[in-house]
Amino acid sequence: MNSQKTTRQILEEKTAASERVPLYNPEAIKNISAEFERWKNTVVREQDRQHWTVTPHTMLGSEIPRELIYTPLNNAGLDYQQDLGFSGEEPYTRGIHPNVYRGRTFTMRQLFGAGSPDECNKRMKTLLEHGATGTNWALDLATVQMFDSDEPEARGQVATVGVPIDCVADMEAICQDIPIDKVSASIVTHYPRNTAITFPMYLVMAERRGVPWDRLAGSVQNDFIMESLVRSASEYIPPRDDFRIQCDNIEFIRKNVPQWNYVTLNGYNLREWGTSGVTEMAVALSNGIAILTEMARRGHDIDWIAERLAFFWAPANDFFEEVARIRAVRRLWYKIMKYRFEAKKPRSMWMRCHVQTSGVSLTREEPMNNVIRSAYQALAAVLGGAQSLHVDSYDEAYSVPSEEASLLSLRTQQIIEAETQVTQVVDPLGGSFYVESLTNEIEARILDEVDEIERLGGIVEVVASGWLHRKVVRHIEREQKMIESGEIKVVGRNYHRDPNLKMPDVRVHEFDENIARQMRDKLARLRQQRDNEKVNRCLAALKDACRRGDNVMQYTLECARADATEGEMRRVFIAAFGAWKPPIYG
Amino acid sequence: MAQRKSKIKVLLAQFPLESHNRGIITVAGMLKDAGMEVVLIGNDLPERIIETAIQEDADVVGISTYCGGELALGADLMKSAAEKGIKESTVFLLGGIFPPHNMARLKELGFSATFLAADRAEIVSCIQKAVAEKKSSAQSGAA
Repeated sequence: MNSQKTTRQILEEKTAASERVPLYNPEAIKNISAEFERWKNTVVREQDRQHWTVTPHTMLGSEIPRELIYTPLNNAGLDYQQDLGFSGEEPYTRGIHPNVYRGRTFTMRQLFGAGSPDECNKRMKTLLEHGATGTNWALDLATVQMFDSDEPEARGQVATVGVPIDCVADMEAICQDIPIDKVSASIVTHYPRNTAITFPMYLVMAERRGVPWDRLAGSVQNDFIMESLVRSASEYIPPRDDFRIQCDNIEFIRKNVPQWNYVTLNGYNLREWGTSGVTEMAVALSNGIAILTEMARRGHDIDWIAERLAFFWAPANDFFEEVARIRAVRRLWYKIMKYRFEAKKPRSMWMRCHVQTSGVSLTREEPMNNVIRSAYQALAAVLGGAQSLHVDSYDEAYSVPSEEASLLSLRTQQIIEAETQVTQVVDPLGGSFYVESLTNEIEARILDEVDEIERLGGIVEVVASGWLHRKVVRHIEREQKMIESGEIKVVGRNYHRDPNLKMPDVRVHEFDENIARQMRDKLARLRQQRDNEKVNRCLAALKDACRRGDNVMQYTLECARADATEGEMRRVFIAAFGAWKPPIYG
Repeated sequence: MAQRKSKIKVLLAQFPLESHNRGIITVAGMLKDAGMEVVLIGNDLPERIIETAIQEDADVVGISTYCGGELALGADLMKSAAEKGIKESTVFLLGGIFPPHNMARLKELGFSATFLAADRAEIVSCIQKAVAEKKSSAQSGAA
């Protein structure tokens, strides 16, 4: 692999020699072209001819111009085998498995959490008794931002939007009597540092219960884009160090917990923060490329790392664009894995993804309209062939979803799965002149943006320099103006707005001081009972490892074994790497 | 009394754990467009937000919140503002997602206005009006 060349250059060089077999015969194309010109000039109205191409403006849309009609002429060189093929075979445009949803329907994964570790445990047991096969935990904000429940930063917010985890004892409480060797756990750790701190607590909990690590299955998010770019926080470390921790986590988990998914390349939160669907995918792919390049540098086999990479996407309102996007990125990731990284195993070339419908596209005005928006977005994700789905609830513009709204989200998924029959046929929109043309266009645009990022020095550099932050800020400001001017239509807000609109009051999950007190008391007891000298030795060793460049997770594991807390480990990272501030803040 | 600067200066901040900032970036853009000077500092503890507001000599402190804690942390912010003597001279605003029934309590704490779903004109005119009121009451107090 020549690191001087960009991904696009490599793909262009390696595919240049392949001979194409056009599906349409040249004579037919010639006839269609002549007929098309006649029809366009004599049948189509003058004003439609003048506005032949229209650019849709939508929340988070990619503003790809659309013609009035699509024909074989939009994709005259289509080579069926090379561009589409069959599902389960290269280039995987039509799906990564031959039977797609006939073999296994999409996983209906709804996120939950809130309350104490004990309450979370009770809720998980109830879900498992009702047939859930895995658990999906939302962590509370203090845990996500890596503060202990008794730090001043956690004041007023412990256990409000997820479960708090300060130490191994909390992991033990959450997983009490749950068969962790049979039930997979999706732990939404978001950030590399958070993953490095809390995942070892899960491993130590298993160890204390006598469950071998190779029996554990599940996933963590572990995405440095989330930590250094997307989130807002009071503390950051430099993006380069954060990227390294992301890679350390991947390496450690791959070696020691073989069934665990160690990274979810998260486009979702970036897009929801404020980018087009093209940038969302270009950034996640660029991070994937950077991870694999770093792992190759560390001497690892590409297939060994690549086969467990997964992606997370946000579908917004432009229906066909969303279907085409998932198909486009599936084909592009295959090409990157095959030609740039020369992967050998089919599994390494699969773009596997979880999809969550777009929260930002939901409105506070007339919240029931959000049910419709989410249902169309979910349908687009299924038509695109997503592996796993979360449907946002109609009240998410107000709060964490109510139980009633969560159930309606699950019902939305079940109606798509059991009633609409869209899952019976693989890639049902494949072959549509329009969808294939849009798929080609989106793939080309994603690759353009991957190329731009590489020419600017790569994903870590465009985050560290603030280039990506500024790109998002520009998007947010421009989009806001387009909503205000009515160029982007939002039904109920700026389009057909009810003049007598009333905002409904809603119930929200209130802060419970009792849980916060229990968490503080438990930490006070822990700090009295544990071997504090051992804790300090482990924290000091972690700091040395950070500076030396050793894999940090081996050391956070020792900290967890000594019952060090999340906040104690976070402070070591800051001490070792120094603080960093994103360039959008003054 | 020293001549006040002509541009309204707004400090925009979030409480420590807030992970969303699309709202505050949007509002920062709106206020800049309206000719105000905006200092976007990101997340910090209430007492440190007040210290920065004093250093920056801000007319307005705007807080964006999505994930709860607005009552406890809003109270801490106001307590700190009172202790440092800027509660009466500064306009305090809070916007984002929180239970509508908390609006009254936030006003009691000393926030001039709270926003759940506001448009550009509403936010800008609210700030202009509140700053003008603070200035005129400061002048009448001085006289």
